Amino acid sequence: MGLLSLLRKLRPNPDKEARILLLGLDNAGKTTILKQLASEDITTVTPTAGFNIKSVAADGFKLNVWDIGGQWKIRPYWKNYFANTDVLIYVIDCTDRTRLSEAGSELFEMLLDNRLKQVPLLVFANKQDLPEAMSASEVAEAMGLVRLEERSWEIKACTAVDGTGLKEGMDWVCKNMKK
Amino acid sequence: MFLLDKILPFIFGYIRPFIKWFLHVFTRLSELQRICYGAKAGASRTRQVERSLQLSKHPDIKCLLLELDQAAPYADDAELLYFAQRATHVIGKVKKIKPNVHPDFGRIFGNCITAIYGYKRLMHTAEQLRAEKYDAENPEHEQKLLQLWRLLMPEEPLTARITKQWQDIGFQGDDPKTDFRGMGMLGLENLLYFARVYNDAAKHVLLHSKHPTLGYTFAIVGINLTSMAFKFLKTGAVKTHFYNQAATYKQHYSTLEDFHKLYCYLFFEFDRFWMESDPRDIMDFREIYQAFEISKLEALHKDSTLFVTNLVVESV
Repeated sequence: MGLLSLLRKLRPNPDKEARILLLGLDNAGKTTILKQLASEDITTVTPTAGFNIKSVAADGFKLNVWDIGGQWKIRPYWKNYFANTDVLIYVIDCTDRTRLSEAGSELFEMLLDNRLKQVPLLVFANKQDLPEAMSASEVAEAMGLVRLEERSWEIKACTAVDGTGLKEGMDWVCKNMKK
Repeated sequence: MFLLDKILPFIFGYIRPFIKWFLHVFTRLSELQRICYGAKAGASRTRQVERSLQLSKHPDIKCLLLELDQAAPYADDAELLYFAQRATHVIGKVKKIKPNVHPDFGRIFGNCITAIYGYKRLMHTAEQLRAEKYDAENPEHEQKLLQLWRLLMPEEPLTARITKQWQDIGFQGDDPKTDFRGMGMLGLENLLYFARVYNDAAKHVLLHSKHPTLGYTFAIVGINLTSMAFKFLKTGAVKTHFYNQAATYKQHYSTLEDFHKLYCYLFFEFDRFWMESDPRDIMDFREIYQAFEISKLEALHKDSTLFVTNLVVESV
């Protein structure tokens, strides 16, 4: 059973479609998270040229997850996907200390956009299985997430390759879905 | 749907032996012989032989298949060629086919066996390479990566191992090591083969990928095409091409080199397909990639399909 099917039970209003945007730098683990959510094989992922999208429909509930490539050349296109987003999920590679500030500045720049105003933000602190990974609180501190005053946000530690922490994150997403 | 999915194969399983017996009595030939003499050489014949063997309920044939399946991944070339003899011997005994009465059967059937198990071995070889992660600590891996650069950009040396220059050949950032992902060394070996063996074609495609509006990321698209080629191999879709290739060029079995050639063909064709699709930007990649995949799967659905892998670049 996929994680997405768990969401079915949690969501109070099953008539609505939800649009979830999955962003982050290249090699953060966005596509692996997407595939885990859809219970697909994650061993053969490739770098995303363009974007991937998966939707799961069940009991009239439909969750559309957009995974946009994170490479430098694709980032200018991120804004084309902002409209009507219900929840933004931002993925951080916690082993990539050198690019953490780059990840932070991309996030804060994006959050200035009007279309993302009041959109709840979930940060996934990914790759917790690796020894050199920073903890979720270290990442939150380094990125200065406390600056996000007027927005509901949360950071969750996770390991996309084995699925640890994804369910907890998605639970939060369901509870905080933009009304 | 239930009727089609569950009941029909069930009934077929019971009727099949009667049909086989009936045809055997009237043609005095076993099913395998009828396929070998009747079906067109290549994908059509080899696929039918494969299916007939898989459906067989005879314990000796089941045992033979198990034995060959287990040995195939690790067989060297000489051992692989011996599979044909071994299989022909067992089938000859079970089906009472006398070599002096049916002199051609052994050769024709043997060729099918070699092609079938060559393909299985290739699947294993490719999977091994795919599962080998790119490791920046491994000097052999690093050498191959640097060689890829030299082959594609001979005029322009790398200024450092970690540099933005890698983006010129379509990697994502300043260090390609994280870009191979789930395709591992298979992704790099594919790219390297393309750049080495079809250097002109590879440079031609690289040049297209740098087009200001129709451009795409060469290496990343290349790694996604490795994924496509690997999927074709794993699902058996590309058996059509490889079985026809084995029969047409009398080369017995397909090797990793043939897989590389298939990859080069796909890359070269994708480039053309991409340009003709007139994409707005790289965000159209997913749609065009999927349309390309479907067009190739449709081609592979025809028994006669053989991809032509001698890539020619028309020089201007």
